[in-house]
Amino acid sequence: MSRGAALGRHGGRDVWTKRLPGDTLARTSSDARFNNDGGLQPSEGTVDRRTFLKAVSAGLAATPFLRHSDLFSFPPPETPAQLSIITGPDPAAATKRAVEAIGGMSAFVSKGDVVLVKPNIGWDRTPEQAANTNPIVIATLVELAFGAGAKKVKVFDNTCNSARRCYTNSGIEEAARRAGADVSFVDERKFKKVNLGGEVLEEWPVYVDALEVDKIINVPIAKHHSLARITLSMKNFMGLIGGSRNILHQKIHTNVVDLAGFFKPSLTVLDAVRVLTANGPQGGNLADVRNLNTVAASRDQVAIDAFGATIFGLTPDDLPHVREAHARGLGVKDLAALAVVREHLS
Amino acid sequence: MAEAKEISGLKRARIVSQSVFFVLFVFLLSRTEYHGRDVIAYPVKIFLELDPLILVTTFLSSHAVAAGLFLSLIVVGVTLFLGRVFCGWFCPLGALNDVVGSFRKKKKTAPESRLDKHGVKAKYYILTVVLVAALFGIHFVGILDPIALTIRSFSVAVSPAFNYLVHGGFGLLYKTGFGPVTAVSEPVYEFLRNHAISFNPPSFLQASFIGFLFFGILALNFVRKRFWCRYICPLGALLGLLSRFSFLNHKLSSEACNNCKLCLATCSGGARPYPEDDWRGSECVLCMNCHSTCPQQAISFRFGRPEPQHRRTDLKRRYLLQAGAAGVVSLAFFRLNPVRETGEAELVRPPGSVEENEFLRRCVKCGECMKVCITNGLHPTFLQAGFEGIWSPFLVPRIGYCEFNCTLCGQVCPTDAIEELELEAKKKRKIGLAFVDQNRCLPYAFGINCIVCEEHCPTSPKAIRFESRVIAAEDGEKELKLPVIVPDLCIGCGICEYYCPVGETAAIRVSSIGEDRSEKNRLIL
Repeated sequence: MSRGAALGRHGGRDVWTKRLPGDTLARTSSDARFNNDGGLQPSEGTVDRRTFLKAVSAGLAATPFLRHSDLFSFPPPETPAQLSIITGPDPAAATKRAVEAIGGMSAFVSKGDVVLVKPNIGWDRTPEQAANTNPIVIATLVELAFGAGAKKVKVFDNTCNSARRCYTNSGIEEAARRAGADVSFVDERKFKKVNLGGEVLEEWPVYVDALEVDKIINVPIAKHHSLARITLSMKNFMGLIGGSRNILHQKIHTNVVDLAGFFKPSLTVLDAVRVLTANGPQGGNLADVRNLNTVAASRDQVAIDAFGATIFGLTPDDLPHVREAHARGLGVKDLAALAVVREHLS
Repeated sequence: MAEAKEISGLKRARIVSQSVFFVLFVFLLSRTEYHGRDVIAYPVKIFLELDPLILVTTFLSSHAVAAGLFLSLIVVGVTLFLGRVFCGWFCPLGALNDVVGSFRKKKKTAPESRLDKHGVKAKYYILTVVLVAALFGIHFVGILDPIALTIRSFSVAVSPAFNYLVHGGFGLLYKTGFGPVTAVSEPVYEFLRNHAISFNPPSFLQASFIGFLFFGILALNFVRKRFWCRYICPLGALLGLLSRFSFLNHKLSSEACNNCKLCLATCSGGARPYPEDDWRGSECVLCMNCHSTCPQQAISFRFGRPEPQHRRTDLKRRYLLQAGAAGVVSLAFFRLNPVRETGEAELVRPPGSVEENEFLRRCVKCGECMKVCITNGLHPTFLQAGFEGIWSPFLVPRIGYCEFNCTLCGQVCPTDAIEELELEAKKKRKIGLAFVDQNRCLPYAFGINCIVCEEHCPTSPKAIRFESRVIAAEDGEKELKLPVIVPDLCIGCGICEYYCPVGETAAIRVSSIGEDRSEKNRLIL
């Protein structure tokens, strides 16, 4: 299974970048960095002391989690980045570049694959309100998947508000369909009890279509959430399961990690074109929306959520689910330990 | 026995007309649902807007008449000119009665029974009760009006039952998991779901009760054809009175007639087409059965000067007065309803509903708002609004919440009992208030974090905020987030109650207090 196989490679990069943390950051974060209140700003290819120290300490903190064998693997520096963070006014261009920078869609989707592009369509909100994934990002990924030879691209989500309203008003149904995707409503009959093998979640109804696809591309939107603090990629898998989803909140951090470990996306693309900073997860007030014009992509969903944390001025360790996913070996939470490409497209 | 005779052109035209309007009725009913647009272009309410009885009673009871209801003046005009064409050619309940009645064994003409002779008068007395009650502000026409009754029965019982079967049938095919079958059935199912049947199979409180009543009405056709139309229908009675001076007259040619009385047996309305002196024109629904059946072609309908003497139904003044008195008595009887004063917690009315007393004077219980409600949240009341309010709509958040960006119920209401709100106004309209039940709420009662109610709260800022409390837990201290309602912000939509993970009785519940439409049902200054 390709979905789980990515982990070893990340581990290798950990050591390499830990040895040269400043060098890595200086090389790969040349176009954008975070200012102190968490927003993204273009920069001049320098690393400020704060970022540097954060990166170093994060890298050091990761040391105990490394497996012994990782210490001896040195990947060649010209391999694609592990995390791309692209800013730019055009979400389609940013999405394309984000995927390209980590190896291009063909690294994640093979010819003849049936692919699920999983947006967040949870709410009856418009794209401007930033409660659902950006439709342009979704449509672009659908096109890229077809470009890489996908046989079929499915798009669906188990919504919170009325499904038809969410699909329509999010703009996703139309955009994805125009890009050629097979957009469908979640059908109550198609849930199947599956052993998720999680710490909390064992037997749980999962949407059959999500089980049957060859590849999953998870496309969350970054936004505020009062319990998970912010909601990112791992929580987005809530939309692939059925049953009494509302009781999952009682152990939400462990649950979303269980889901992430089960679904193992081939690729995770974080939509931070518009982010919801308050009143999440459904917002409603444009004053709570900030335009960051950012798209991030990685094979490593933990890295994506770790990056997502920084958007909101948090550190990855502030998010319990990121800590837990990292500890379970689902991915790497230390941004400094990854080969990161940061670019600003104009 | 006369030989089976080909049906006449006029009768065929009547059947075609009934079929067309019935199909239109079902089509419009199926369009009375969200189909990706926030505006419903063709709600089935047009059938109610053509109903003059609704116009009259609504005017009498509330003095406020929704503009659309004036469409019914068309029907008034047609009836004045032609008679009860509406009943025979247009009414969907009449069409159904004809279909069911056609299964009844044709009986040889019996002498006129007491039911035949006096039963037809009953509907006029019923009409009298309805009108007098309406004059005093008791508006129960919707219980008996054929259009309101049919829309309600279809919305709440017939259509959900049909949907249950169709969804279930495709579900069975899907369960076979047999490729060649599902390859055909699934696309068909998806098409039907998006265009013809309900997207999600709805189910309503009291569906069985309302369904049984409806099938009871249809079953009465086995006692007499069009039993309902002959003896009960107040709209039929109103149109009968209006047809008094119509220009389309029934003629029986005494030379041609051979006294076979076949026409009497086929008459849909109890109008006594034979002998000519017995003719009760106001009972005639212009079904053209007599015209079609007569082996001698002795019956014709001709335009001419009105013949009101042939259109009387002998109503006894005594009974009319009694019926009027019954209307007055019903005032007291129906009004014995303390809810009007105290408010009823469960009675969360749809957004845009007018003040309760006025609401009851307008609502005709047609159930269109329930049909259109995208979450299946609106249901017919039983006694929550008193007996006079039976089958009026209320929100049951445990079954379905009020969708924040939706204004459909106000759009389809034919009488403006639910006024149409602009979306921005709707989003602020309070229909009730949520209360946290601290004995059941997970963080309060069990020290378990949850926040589902807050997560789903659609207002901005949210009407649920958190109070933080640190408690001792097994593994050290733990921060609890305790939901607290902000009454100024809560609009009572009920999504919190709908999604509350505490089963059967939710730990957060909406009650009607604080609703904008009431001056009395208030909580906070």
